[in-house]
Amino acid sequence: MTSYQWLLLALLLSQSGMVWIALSMKVHWEQVMLHSAAESITSRKTLKSLAVTALMLSLLSCLMADHPSMALLVWIMLMAITALTVALVLSWRARLLRFMWPFLNLEKS
Amino acid sequence: MFNSFRLSMTWLHTWFGLVLGFVLMVCFFFGSLSVFDREIDRWSIPQTRFEAQPMPSFDDLLLPIFQQIEPDKANYATQMPRLHDPAKGSMTSRLELPADRFWAYNTHRDPVLAMGVRFSVPTAHSSLKDMRIRGDVVVDPRSGKILPDDALRIGSAWFYPLHYSLNWSWKNLGYWIVGLAGFVMLAALVTGIIMHRKVFREFFTFRPKKRMQRSTLDMHNLTGVLALPFHFFFAFTGLVIFAGSIYLPVTHTLLKPIHDQQHLLEAERAGLPAERSGQPAALASVDAMMEEAKRRWAARDMAGDVGFLVVNHVGDANSFVSIYRAGSDRVALVGEGIHFKGNTGEVLYEEPPRSVVMSTNEFLTGLHLQHFEHWLLRWLYVAGGLMGCVCIATGFVFFVEKRKQQHAKVGGQGSRVVDALAVTTVTGMVIAAIGMLLINRLLPMDLAGKGDYERAAFWGFWLLAMLHAVWRSAAVAQAKPNPAWLEQCLAVSVLACLAVIMNWFSTGDHLIKTVFINTYWPVAGVDISLLVTAAVAWGVARKLAKRKDVNIGEHSVLILGESVRD
Repeated sequence: MTSYQWLLLALLLSQSGMVWIALSMKVHWEQVMLHSAAESITSRKTLKSLAVTALMLSLLSCLMADHPSMALLVWIMLMAITALTVALVLSWRARLLRFMWPFLNLEKS
Repeated sequence: MFNSFRLSMTWLHTWFGLVLGFVLMVCFFFGSLSVFDREIDRWSIPQTRFEAQPMPSFDDLLLPIFQQIEPDKANYATQMPRLHDPAKGSMTSRLELPADRFWAYNTHRDPVLAMGVRFSVPTAHSSLKDMRIRGDVVVDPRSGKILPDDALRIGSAWFYPLHYSLNWSWKNLGYWIVGLAGFVMLAALVTGIIMHRKVFREFFTFRPKKRMQRSTLDMHNLTGVLALPFHFFFAFTGLVIFAGSIYLPVTHTLLKPIHDQQHLLEAERAGLPAERSGQPAALASVDAMMEEAKRRWAARDMAGDVGFLVVNHVGDANSFVSIYRAGSDRVALVGEGIHFKGNTGEVLYEEPPRSVVMSTNEFLTGLHLQHFEHWLLRWLYVAGGLMGCVCIATGFVFFVEKRKQQHAKVGGQGSRVVDALAVTTVTGMVIAAIGMLLINRLLPMDLAGKGDYERAAFWGFWLLAMLHAVWRSAAVAQAKPNPAWLEQCLAVSVLACLAVIMNWFSTGDHLIKTVFINTYWPVAGVDISLLVTAAVAWGVARKLAKRKDVNIGEHSVLILGESVRD
């Protein structure tokens, strides 16, 4: 893979990680899923683990693309920007984030 | 004074942030533009619009240029009377000064090569014998032609120094004000975290549909917290960069004897002659030295081009050539310097890996100065800087929103003053920057003193924006929004579009050409950024116009269309 592909992967992983962190939070879970957070504790715990894994993999992708000192900066800045993107989507089109956790119906049933 | 620690921190954050926030806004905005300062230079000086080149041949191309360079007239006139010791004889004329050092500097973003000569003063005071008279030129590395260097480099010589010195060199006052603002920024970040009770719970929270005060505070917190590492590191490393030379110059004041001794000791250990021998000697092939340096870097898994080259003690048997790598693949400003004996070309000294302290310092300064070649990270830096601008601007707006009702009741003018200053430093500053670019494209390329007109235009636009903001701020005293925000957003939008159009008319470089036909990203990038700025400013103006209580003028209604008043 080229460094550009690794960086693209890092961006996608960071974006996914930030969405999953947001969904693992009570207030945003209810905002996006319109479903009680208290009834979805297992899902939210899974989301948190997924988020941590995605962010770690994002760091790994950055390290594959660049020298470690550069990779660390890219990773930190990617997290800042992707977190801002999540906050803005939550403000205007929160339901869009549902596709990042398509197992809600499964949980309801 | 206060009932709780949190209240004390709130007071500190509010008032220090307000007073120095205006300076920080300048630092963050022009710092963000500085990420692409060389690209802005290409936009503003069309004769330098060509691709960056590697360091050209020293023997064939650079040496003849070095031999032509004369001491700068202005620098000679100011420095010579200070350096000359009458007890040592008559003053050496400008063209008789002997060359002591050649240097050439190249980056992956500069199509033009900066190079210069440092001339020694034979009759200098003993205490000033290390001072030199300079003669610098800018060269087209493809042909070796010396380019006229009287055009103002708007990116690297105006916007860039503005963000760390306010372009106010008198007594270094600009540096000190920015340093104080940077220090306050660090305090504001810490106090902001203490004030913000729900850092993690509201990590992604922005509620634009809530009332103005709430949504502004949300955006202030969001942009402050999400980019906190960026804000902290840039404020901190900004202080680190000038700590040794301006804020705490102990090595050149209190510790000067030790510093000088250490300098000599290091030169002796490295085998690099600190003084001239007095014996003339010819210079060996520097091209061969550059090849050897590249070979050694490649052997250390650091392949790269030559970024900086210095010939010390020119024409002397003690001459040595220092060659540094262009550190475009690292954050740290490491040059992996290799030093060669001037008259033989043998390697005198290869700099070893840095100590932990030096490596840390070079990483921190490199992180801020960003000499690296990483376009994604550069854009991420711009985004971080703009988040800082939004954080500061929303801080101003929140301050006004929180107090203006109360001030209106008692007839106070505090909110009005802060609002007018906020308009001046937010939209007014953007108007000044874009207005300067527009004037750059309107004035003829060969106009004498063009740079002075451009500087005057910058301050003129900014002053006009301030007068407009003050004039229109009367509404704030009645607890209403200042229509200057909307009107200046419109001005930004119009000016940015005009700048892009004038770039096309004056150079023929329109976006279709610079993106698709003759791709040249430095110019295309500036044009696209201007158009995005215009679109964002237009969008903000429309949003503001939809607010029922904004008393906007007839012209603004006409420009935006009447539908926005529905």
